[in-house]
Amino acid sequence: MTPSLPIIVSFIIKALTLLGLGLYGIFAVVMVRQEQLMAGVLEEGFEPILRLLTILHFAGAVGIFILALILL
Amino acid sequence: MPTLFEETALPKGKPVKSQHQSSVKKPSTMTPLTCFAVNPSGVRFETQEEDEEVVLFLRQHLIVNVPWVLFSILFVLIPPVFFPLVLRLVHFPFVIPAGYIVIGTLFWYLATVGFILMNFLRWFFNIYIVTNERVVDIDFVQLLYKQFSEARLSKLQDISYSTGGILATLFNYGTVNIETAGESPNLEFESVPSPERVVETISKLNQNIQQSPL
Repeated sequence: MTPSLPIIVSFIIKALTLLGLGLYGIFAVVMVRQEQLMAGVLEEGFEPILRLLTILHFAGAVGIFILALILL
Repeated sequence: MPTLFEETALPKGKPVKSQHQSSVKKPSTMTPLTCFAVNPSGVRFETQEEDEEVVLFLRQHLIVNVPWVLFSILFVLIPPVFFPLVLRLVHFPFVIPAGYIVIGTLFWYLATVGFILMNFLRWFFNIYIVTNERVVDIDFVQLLYKQFSEARLSKLQDISYSTGGILATLFNYGTVNIETAGESPNLEFESVPSPERVVETISKLNQNIQQSPL
């Protein structure tokens, strides 16, 4: 039978995973903010859709972080 | 088929001073994938003056996006194709908890979406604009870095373009170099479609500016 990971190793991996997901969340926020700034530079008509996509991406990052807190 | 070229009539004669500005708003001729538009409607940029009209709107040729699009397709295919293969071939000395597999897969796809968004934003907001008064270069180099450069048409000294390589020849794109007088920075329009038309248009506008009475 294949052994499962020791508790301490499992805890470290979980902490690192959450840290990585948290950092990715920051990246997603930066992307939303940068899109807002650039939309101020260029008004062309497609910016609202891009904004929605970046916000959805950020929401996805938050969702996975919460899911990781629950599942891991 | 995405719209590469949008064209309406070029302004003629002396620098056009807002002949078309009225309370009636023209419908936008732009699409998200437009990379060459002559006299586009529905485009405005930061610092655009009231009587300033956009004559040319440029982005890099669509073909420059091919590498990251191919990578994105590869990233999408990796979890269903590559991961099961690795799990079958490599025997880990421990059991990977199901939670990690779920989170890992979801994160992989989210990161792929992030990769696509980041590259698209970089292409979308990296724009070159020629108006009846100046030339503007807005660069979105990285996520945290943008650059806004401009040069008045009257300050332009030398305009040239260069193309090179198989793709550039096949798809007719190249780099337009604009040298300016004085302290204004030189501008470079990278990988823009039909560089010869860009040079021609800027030269015509420059001539009009030079000939127009002060």
